[in-house]
Amino acid sequence: MKPAPFEYFRPRSVEEAIELLAEHGPDAKPLAGGQSLIPAMNFRLASPAVLVDLNEAAGLSNVTAQADGLHIGGMTRHRTLERSETVARAAPLVTAAMPFVAHAAIRTRGTLGGSLAHADPAAELPAVMLALDAVFTVQSRQGSRKVRAADFFTGLFTTTLQAGELLTDVAIPRTPPHAAYAFQEIARRHGDYALAGVAAAVAVDERGRCTSARVALLSVSDRPVLAEHASRALEGEQPTEEAIRAAAAAAAAHDIDPPGDIHASSAYRRHLAAVLMRSVLERAFIDAGRPFRAA
Amino acid sequence: MILNGTFTFNGPRQKVWDLLQDPDVLAKALPGTERLTLSGPDRYEGVMKVSVGPMTAAKFDVTVALGDKQPPERFTMQIDGKGAVGFARGTASVALQDQADGGTAMEYTSDVQIGGRIASVGQRLIESVSRMMMRQALESLDRELRSRLESDASRS
Repeated sequence: MKPAPFEYFRPRSVEEAIELLAEHGPDAKPLAGGQSLIPAMNFRLASPAVLVDLNEAAGLSNVTAQADGLHIGGMTRHRTLERSETVARAAPLVTAAMPFVAHAAIRTRGTLGGSLAHADPAAELPAVMLALDAVFTVQSRQGSRKVRAADFFTGLFTTTLQAGELLTDVAIPRTPPHAAYAFQEIARRHGDYALAGVAAAVAVDERGRCTSARVALLSVSDRPVLAEHASRALEGEQPTEEAIRAAAAAAAAHDIDPPGDIHASSAYRRHLAAVLMRSVLERAFIDAGRPFRAA
Repeated sequence: MILNGTFTFNGPRQKVWDLLQDPDVLAKALPGTERLTLSGPDRYEGVMKVSVGPMTAAKFDVTVALGDKQPPERFTMQIDGKGAVGFARGTASVALQDQADGGTAMEYTSDVQIGGRIASVGQRLIESVSRMMMRQALESLDRELRSRLESDASRS
């Protein structure tokens, strides 16, 4: 299969890329790793008139730990995230999720910014960024704006990104003390689109009480979903087995209304989400408690 | 795919019924409808373009035949759509009921088969897309209903 004809630009800088995107407006699509856009074009499900290839634009793939948290450039490859020690130290949830992101070959090309801007409801990184309360920097000719992950994803393959805008940076806030993370998903084969998945970031105080619990789900809606009922049920409480079970059940019942398909019915996805939330939260709270118990 | 649901319109049943029988209103409400015309008694023909975010999943030629009409209470639809990337075929039924607060509850059930390339590539997305289109259509119909009620009120 071959894509429809398109014009191709390869800018050398972010500024040049933004100029090109502004000039061509809604006809132009930025090309990052091309692991979703190119297949869509080959199937003729997408036919942008202009591609602005970001692969030669300098300065978009830095990973740096800064005072306000970890900053990751939009063109950072999945493979870099997977192997980076800076990421493992500052955002271990990202490291935990990376092996689940498609297959090794796709991770070699795919990028963080590309995955977030594409906003596939089955993608891991949007859910991870939601759990971590990440902030995205979006640049355009009009300047730059910051968007929280919770406000960024608006629907199926749809975000608040407008024509002419580029997601250039992802900032993950610094982790509180006694924080821990876990990620799990169920797919029929490893690397396939998950039937359901859960990313969790939790923290406890000196007495082991939950101070925050952010649980994000993937593949259970048209966008990544924050399990608000789980947070509400756990925050301020001792994260006992019973509390975790109740939180997972409440979130599965009230926070999601999963779509069904030939791979899994709506009811099965809801069941999976509850099981995964329980398992992920138990693991995270055990990890979060460890430094406290050892002290 | 089976898609069922309920929706509450903020207006009386007869008005909702009239709305649902008006091709011009439906053409505006159904997302991606480029054309929808009455081609015979209780028979509509048109062109719809389904798009999801950046994906433009081509055009479908659509025919809809209404049946079992019991105004202003219930009707069924036979839906047939064909396009370069696949097809959609199925049935839907709609039932309207008065609500105590003067609104109208609509209960809909549908069973639609989707096939061709669109189904092999987009299987996992079909239900999400259908739900999204249904929600957009119903909310748009409700807006139209409210503006009709307002213009009725200002005339009288």
